[in-house]
Amino acid sequence: MPTAHPLHTHPDTPPRGGAQPQKAAGATPSAGRGTFPQQTRPRHKWGMVVDLDRCTGCQACVVACQAENNIPLNTESIYLQRRVIEWIRIERYWEPNHEQVRARYIPLMCQQCDNAPCEPVCPVYATYHNDQGLNVQVYNRCVGTRYCANNCPYHARFFNFWQPVWPETLDNQLNPDVTVRWRGIMEKCTFCIQRLRRAQREALREGRTLQDGEVVPACAQACPTDALVFGDLLDPNSRVSQLAKNKRAYKVIEDLGTGPNVIYLKKVDPYAPTADHSH
Amino acid sequence: MRLGKRAWIAILVGGGLGSTLLGLAFLVLVVPRVVAHYSWSVERLFRQAPQQPIAFTHATHAGDAQIPCLFCHRGADTEAAATIPSLEQCMFCHRFIVGTTEAKQAEIRKVIDAFNNQEPVQWVRVFRLPDHVRFVHEAHIRAGFTCSDCHGAVETMTTMRQVQRSLKMGDCVGCHRQNNAPTDCAICHY
Repeated sequence: MPTAHPLHTHPDTPPRGGAQPQKAAGATPSAGRGTFPQQTRPRHKWGMVVDLDRCTGCQACVVACQAENNIPLNTESIYLQRRVIEWIRIERYWEPNHEQVRARYIPLMCQQCDNAPCEPVCPVYATYHNDQGLNVQVYNRCVGTRYCANNCPYHARFFNFWQPVWPETLDNQLNPDVTVRWRGIMEKCTFCIQRLRRAQREALREGRTLQDGEVVPACAQACPTDALVFGDLLDPNSRVSQLAKNKRAYKVIEDLGTGPNVIYLKKVDPYAPTADHSH
Repeated sequence: MRLGKRAWIAILVGGGLGSTLLGLAFLVLVVPRVVAHYSWSVERLFRQAPQQPIAFTHATHAGDAQIPCLFCHRGADTEAAATIPSLEQCMFCHRFIVGTTEAKQAEIRKVIDAFNNQEPVQWVRVFRLPDHVRFVHEAHIRAGFTCSDCHGAVETMTTMRQVQRSLKMGDCVGCHRQNNAPTDCAICHY
């Protein structure tokens, strides 16, 4: 018998019609409450694999994310104030120790941590983990304390210091599937949950399960070298699960115990310093 | 300063009358609004039907003519938005139907003129959710709900009006709980 995941409905919710003795979990028949059968959502653990050997640092993912998710424009003055909003950003590291100066790139977005440090510090439960393995930001709950951003080791959370404005020419560019965040609230990468929800609805409508590769976030879609791969880490046959087995796989600041769901594949670098090559 | 008897009476009665009027105004103007904020059955009394640029009547189209909702609101069973039909769609019928009375003819004339001048009609929105809510019509129709479950008896309305539901979050969540639909925040808020 299918039973709802405990996160499916809020555990504190008392049954309608006054206090009743709590039934044992799992013993409730599926038609116990309501006219419709208990819907069970398939469990997922959405994750991403970023192959750093493929990343050229072209920033296409940054632009795609900006366009898809109604992210306000980052002007020069905003950059200088260090208040940019970039749900995904390319971090660039120079390696000056070689004969030739080399740059290394690493795309960083919200790591959708299993033990997300941002979640317990929110005083209003505006950020929480759902049964799909996503770290969800609820915009209408957020009161803008910014504790979550301060506790995030990846600098993946961004605060809206201003009411976002777009030039009139971009009015029709805004994505109607994504909330336009207002002044005073936090925002971060959602793994393009609007695309996820759309694909899930279409799958439900056609009476099938989600296929691997059906959901592609904007960043992964825009990536010219296919460095970003999105999928379900619970599905052992998905492309991300296969890639995550790679010997080069690692997670950013893994030793903090945050349990990120974004897995990076180390760069294969022929110029990497070896033991005998010392400076 | 010495005040005469009449002056004292004027102050007492005047002040009393003033505060009585203030109290009455509070009772009539403020209290129902506060109650309405928490109770939809009271709030619906204040909800007026907005004036539309064209006096379109659902009573004629959905009631008398019995056109199914989905014939015009085509997105309702396939998309998030139910969509307002384009003028081309109005012209399917109104190329031939020009109205029986003079008043009706004047209104239908507006539709035809707008179509010929390629000017979209500025309909006034009746059912509105906050910007941070992503409501999907398709999912609800798929779950077996009918349009009138939320929109009320549209086929009897001359002017469209919100009567059935408050469409506040408590309303949505209550219905989701009753029907064992997911209540994960990210179902609607993203």
